[in-house]
Order: sequence, then C-alpha cells, then structure tokens
Amino acid sequence: MPQRLVVTGASGYIGARLVERALRRGCEVVVLGSRPAGANDAAIAATPWRLGEPPRVTALANASAVVHLAHDWASDRLDGTGPGNVNLNGAETLARMAREAGVRRFVFASTTSARPEALNAYGKIKFALEERLRALPNSEGGLFCARIGLVYGGPERAQYGLMAKLASLPLLPMIGLDREVQPIHLDEVCDGLLALALDPPAGRQTVVLAGPTPMTFGHWLRTLRRARHGRRLQLIPMPIGFALVACDMTKAIPFLPSVERERVLGLAGAAPMASAEDLAALGLTLRDPADALTNCRPARRRLIAECRAMLRYVAGRRLRSPGAIIRLARVARRDPAFRRALPRLALRWPGLLRLIEPIRPSMQHGLSRRLHLAAMVAESLPDEPPQLGLGVLTKEMLLEAGALPFRLAFARVYA
Amino acid sequence: MSDGTGPEFIVIGSGPAGVSAAIPLVEAGRRVLMIDGAQPSRPPDASMPPDQPWRRMLGATLTALRPDDELSPKLRTPVALDVVGGFQRWAEIAADRFLPLGAMARGGLSQLWGGFVAELDQDDLQGWPVTADELAPSYRVVTERIGISGSIDDDMAPFYGTSGPVLPALPLGPTASALLSRYAAGKPYRDFALGLARNAILTVARGERQACNLSLGCLWGCARGAIYDARQDLATLRRHPNFQLRDGAIATRITHEPDGWAVATTDGAPPLRAPRLLIAAGPLGTLRLAVPLLGLDKIVLRLLNSPVMAIPLLVPRRLGKPAPREGYTLAQLGFRLRYAQPPTHYVTGGLYETTALPPSSFAARLPLGRRAGTAAFRALSPALAIASVYFPGHCSTNFITADLSGDQVRVGVRGDVSDDFAAVTRLVRRRLGAIWRRLGAFALPGTTIAVAGTDAHLGGIFPMGLADAHGTSRYGELNAAPGIHLVDGSVLPSISAKPTTLTIMANADRIGRRLAGLA
Repeated sequence: MPQRLVVTGASGYIGARLVERALRRGCEVVVLGSRPAGANDAAIAATPWRLGEPPRVTALANASAVVHLAHDWASDRLDGTGPGNVNLNGAETLARMAREAGVRRFVFASTTSARPEALNAYGKIKFALEERLRALPNSEGGLFCARIGLVYGGPERAQYGLMAKLASLPLLPMIGLDREVQPIHLDEVCDGLLALALDPPAGRQTVVLAGPTPMTFGHWLRTLRRARHGRRLQLIPMPIGFALVACDMTKAIPFLPSVERERVLGLAGAAPMASAEDLAALGLTLRDPADALTNCRPARRRLIAECRAMLRYVAGRRLRSPGAIIRLARVARRDPAFRRALPRLALRWPGLLRLIEPIRPSMQHGLSRRLHLAAMVAESLPDEPPQLGLGVLTKEMLLEAGALPFRLAFARVYA
Repeated sequence: MSDGTGPEFIVIGSGPAGVSAAIPLVEAGRRVLMIDGAQPSRPPDASMPPDQPWRRMLGATLTALRPDDELSPKLRTPVALDVVGGFQRWAEIAADRFLPLGAMARGGLSQLWGGFVAELDQDDLQGWPVTADELAPSYRVVTERIGISGSIDDDMAPFYGTSGPVLPALPLGPTASALLSRYAAGKPYRDFALGLARNAILTVARGERQACNLSLGCLWGCARGAIYDARQDLATLRRHPNFQLRDGAIATRITHEPDGWAVATTDGAPPLRAPRLLIAAGPLGTLRLAVPLLGLDKIVLRLLNSPVMAIPLLVPRRLGKPAPREGYTLAQLGFRLRYAQPPTHYVTGGLYETTALPPSSFAARLPLGRRAGTAAFRALSPALAIASVYFPGHCSTNFITADLSGDQVRVGVRGDVSDDFAAVTRLVRRRLGAIWRRLGAFALPGTTIAVAGTDAHLGGIFPMGLADAHGTSRYGELNAAPGIHLVDGSVLPSISAKPTTLTIMANADRIGRRLAGLA
C-alpha cells in the first residue's frame, strides 16, 4: 500500500519539489493549504487550511507522516518572537493533532540558523519551535527537526532566486562574505525530508540537511556565478550597518525590488553545523554544486549559444543542424572545459575565436579541447564541406598570421 | 547439443582464431560449443541510417565524442571503444608503456582490423616446429574462405604469398597511383619493393557479403560486409546443427576433471564440460585465462609485438588536385625494406590515403588554430599519404608479470624495445626517406612510433615447440595441461614484420584439422 504524506507549504520552493518527488516515489500526497502551481490536480488531494488553524481530521487520516514546511514570514515581521507569532502556535497545533490522528511521524523544516542567539527573527523562531515540539508528549521517535542549509537549484524562487539574481551581476557589494554557508541542492533536501518521513534512521531527532564542507558566502556567490554564467564575480565587502540602511531604502524607493532586513540579518548570523554524519545516516551523498548547477537554465542557454558559435567557427559555415549543437552540448555539460564562458563578442562573431586560441592545440587547454570536440561533431555531419583550394588555404594562413599577436596575448586567458 | 550429448570441443572466443579452428571440426561432424563474452544486448552496428553518419562516427550515445588521446583514429571509433573497452574492463591488465588490446565482442578484434594480410615464408618460420609446406594448405583454405584481393604478379605478390586464390584488386587512389607509377618506371631497388597491398576485402560479392563500393567509410566498420569479419564465419557455423554458440558467457575458471575440462562462466550456468578445450581469446585474453590455469605465480613471460611507426608523406605533384570522392581507407600499397643481412631483418607496411580520415585528428597536431589547421589538412589531403612501418617482433622486449594470491589474478604488461631499436628506426627512416624522395614524396615532420601493443600483432607467450611449462606442442597443446589447445596468436613462436591475422587463422585451421582427425 502506498504511504500517505501530508505536506504543508506545498506551494513553496521546497514544498513543490517535495510533492513532485514524493509522487514519483509512489506516495499519496495530501496538501494542507495551497497546492503547488502547475501540479497535476488528480494526483494530489488538497484541503483548505491556514497556518494557525486546526486542520480537518479527515485530512490527516491514514497518513504515515506530516511534513511541515509552511512558514508565515509576515507574522515574523509583525509579531517578532512574541507569543503572537502564528508560526509558533500553528506548528504546535498541527503536531498535536497529527499525533491524535495516529500519524506516526512529524517532520519539521527548521534551519541551520536555528539558534537562541540568532540575529534574525526567523532563526530565533525556528529554534523556539524546535524546543516546543520536542516538549510535546511522546515526541521521541516520531518528531524530526530537519535543519536545512542554504538551498540552491531548481526554480529560481525564495533565497535561491535572490542569489541567482545577485550572481547575474559582474560586480556586487555584499555583506557577510566571510560567513560560512552550507549549500545543498533542492533535490537533496527533498530526498532528506522524504527519508525522514518514510524511513527515518534510528536515534536521530534533529538532523542537519546542509553541505558537509562549509564554504564562505563569498566563495559560494562566485561558485554560483561561475556555474550559471561561466564568469567571474567581483565582490566588494560592505559593512552590515550600511546594508541594513540600504534595505530600508529599497522599501522607500518605488519600482525597486525590496530586500528584507531579515535576509540580511540571517546571512550575517550564519554559522556552520556538522552535517556529514546525518547525511550518511540518511543515505545522502551530496553532489558538488558546480556539477549540480550545470543543468540550470542560464548555464544550458549559455552552452547552447557557445556550442553554436564554436561549430560555426570550426566548420567555417553556418550549419543547418540543430542536432549537431545538441550533441556537442550534451558532452559539454559533462566536460569541465566548458564551464568557462566564452567572450560575448565571439558568440556574435564566431570568427573572433581565432584570436584567443592557443598557438599549439592541446587537449589540456580548455578552448582548444572544446574546439576539438566541436570539430568532431562538425565533420560527422552528412553535408559535404566545399572542396578547399589553395586560395582558401592562403587566406586562412594570412588570417592566422594576423591573429598571432592576439593569441600570444589572450590564449592564456581561456586556458 | 541437438543430439542430447555434450560437446566434444569447447572453443573460447569467436574471433578469427576461434572460428578458423571450429570450422574444420564442425565440418568433420564434431560437436562444438563456442563461448563468447559478447553482451547479446549490444546494438547492431551495421544498421545505422545512412543519413546520420554521426551515429557511426560518434556513437549513438556519443561514446567517441571525446578529446583526442593521440591513439590511432581507428581505435577511437565507437565500435573500437566498445570492443576494446569491454576487454580492458574484464582483463584488468596493468599496462606500462603498453596498450593492451583485446576484444570482448563477437568476432573479436576483426570488427576493427585493417584487413592487411600476408603469408609467412620459410625464413619467417625460423624456430617454428611447423614448416611453410605444412601451413600452405591452411593458408589456401582460409584465403579462399575470407576473400582476399590484391595483385598476383607485382613485386610484392611473392612476398605476400601465393598459396590461395587472390581476387582482383581495388582501384588505386590517385596519390597511391602516382607513387606506384614512378616506382614501376624507375630502376629496380635491391632491398625495397612496392606493390598493391593485399587486403581481406571483397571486390566480388559473395553470399551475403557485398563487394566494396568505395564509400570511404572503412574506418567506422563496413556495413556491406566487404571487409572480412569473423562474425561472417560465425553465421556460417551457426547453420550447422552440431555447432552451438553461447553469448554473454565469459569464461572465469578452467578446471581439470577426470574425463576432460570444465569451464565456469559468468552467466551463472553450471560449468561447461568437454574432453578438449580450444582457447582463442586473443593473446592477452588467453594469457588472462592461462595464468590461474597453469598456476603462473610470480613469473615473468616474454611478449612479442611488432612495433609500428607512422610517417606522414607529402606528394607535391598532387597539390591543388581534387580529393577523390570514392575510395577506401585500408592500405592501398604495400612495401617491404630489408635493413640488414639476416632474413628476418626487414620492415613492411602500407601506404594509406588520407582523404577519408577525420581532419580533426590531424588538426589537433598542427601548430595552427583549429580553423586554419582544418583548412590546411583539407587543402593538403589530396597530396597526403601515411606510411605505416611495421618492425619485426625481435625489436620488442616486452614482458608479462603474473601474480596469484588466492583467487586474485594480477597480470601486468610492460612495453619495451630492444637496445638497437632506436638505431634501426633511424636507419629505416633514412632509407625509406631516400626512397620516398625518388618516388616523388617527402616525409613530413610528425613521424610517431605508436605505443607498444597498438599494432595488435602479439605473440610469443606460449610458444609452440617450447618444452617449458608454459610451452605448447606443435598443435598448440599446453605441455602442462594436455587436452587444452591454444589456437590464437599467443602460441606463435616468433612475430615477423608481416601482419599476423592470416597466419593465426591458418595455424588455427591446421590445429582444428588435426583435432578433427583424432579419434
């Protein structure tokens, strides 16, 4: 019999993906509150519900687990850490009713910033909530707090959406660059939550779902930009006070996207938590973010544009074969040589690639290697290249000679 | 077997050696079971849609779309990566300065061979317990069977042998023609001869095999079956009720039993039993099976190969001429050069035209940008040729180390060449260089000596006629394991500069014939 899962916050960044992955594993999913956008309605039962209200008992019937992801940010802002914060009572009510309805497991999405001394309300509230839930009777063995790190990947929403936006800029004034963060892919978070809900490891009430080797926030932003855009990111450290003032200003200026103080404070207060043992107990092996991000949309789009330009350059003509571009891109996604973006001008005028190639081809040189693969794809196409006379050869050699000084100067840049 | 009794012979391996030994046995009515490590699920490679050449050239899953590793283009095709990769994963041979080529596929390495064939003469057979006269009938049978084309009356014909019928030659490409006509018009050479190459390719259709249509696609496997491939013989064998093929069965362990031998396989079936066992897994595959069988622990064996050198040539007369639109990428011309007095001190080789070779593998070596490098190759290729030069096996001093600890089998191969090899290559390059110039061709920079083993002309591991524990009788029967015959290249007592496949097949035929006649 399929296991039934009750999910709150199913329309959120993590929730939507969690529901998708749970369904793929053959679970039945009951959504409390709004359902994920674009989800297949037939597969998901949804019940109207708001955080703080008691759910209908029928919604909890026969469920194996509740995964509580919903969080009311407005209440954090308005009510702070006081008793009026709807997050506090909401989670407790839900957990209590789930227990009464015979649901065996309650998985609570917490955060790696859950600490009593956290700078932002979010961290403080999540910590207080963990404490409250643990204090419920019979919570041992049935309650799981998942402290989730910095989540990336998937749709560009929530924190990841903000960081994706930041990483699209070449120059970024930023706070907390030396703070340590623990990135984890959205799919990995979902798999961890599902493991807790369906088949939890024994003896772990609080698990850390976060990258096992912390990296500085600055390094993370650079990794993100390199993986998504193949380019470098220049970071300018900014004092926190200045950033908070800037946040307040974004709210005052119309048409500018506003940035919450909460997010800024959350970053400034980040501190790493050990996660390796928890991940191992859950059977999770995290991918290197640089590998996991090769599939994100900007990276894919960039690769396609670059593969098209490289094919055009090596073939010396426009190729009427989308298949060729796709074949090259398929290999490119796996080959680290392609992670470095080509200059934008070369995408427009592929002939410019001549100016940045190394003098002597080498498979160790990133660009040389990419062009070799492109040449292999180009020569495997059925249309015959035109016969090359000595005139064309002479022209090519003259161009080659003209490009020499540029190549001496620039080839190293694209190694 | 169809009549309900077990096989009389088990043949391990379905390559040229295995099928050549099995054919005389099956034709004599003996019950033969052939096992082969090929994965039956492997997609057929001959049925590629012609409008999608990339499938053939890069592989349906793009296995061959990878950076240049300086191996011969032949070894970078999807078929080669599949056939050889499967073997290397299975055999786990630790190789040092050596490329361990073997096959884990139906038809063995004949799926990717170059088709070049030659018979050994009495001088080549020095030190063998077999004479040229004894081999001649088998050379004839095999030549008739696989179909060989070339010339029977040029300067190279006697060198390649005259035992069997030879089909009309393929038409020569323009570059090869230019060289050969100069050769024919000039004064004869004392130590050098040039003529048409002799290739196992059909110029006349035969059965299900079609004649070569000069489509220039040889490198990626001949979809017409014009080039000989042991799978063709395998198809013939399978029509006999007394022959059975077991695919996907990799032999793991061979043990002695009172009434013969038992072979355990990876497919989980009970061990296969027969009074006699023929091993034709290719020299390195056979080695891998023989090490635990013979208990070759902490032992060093020799391994012969035929070192090979590639020389790019430019024929200035052909510059600016159009590239041929049809042809083949097997050797067009063959040559031999005697470089010292002893009869085995000669090199031999083939001349290949380059128009059908992938420009990328040349452009990757030119000190030019990719666009200019490709243009240079394409503009020059009508005037380019590549000479491959094979040296005799006594120039190689490779050795094999074998180690057994419990069930662990560790086999290592280390490649090396004789002390005088550097001097020999210099001499050969100089003399060939002078000859090319007289023929109107110039050696370009970029001559390379391939890593040992690339030639796949291996032998000398379990030599016929050697009395030691790892020696074999004149019928390839292991001295230390009577009833087991090695029928592939591993038993060749010496390796000449000539290609080995035809001789391996003739020798396997000779052994098969002998076993067919035994009671």
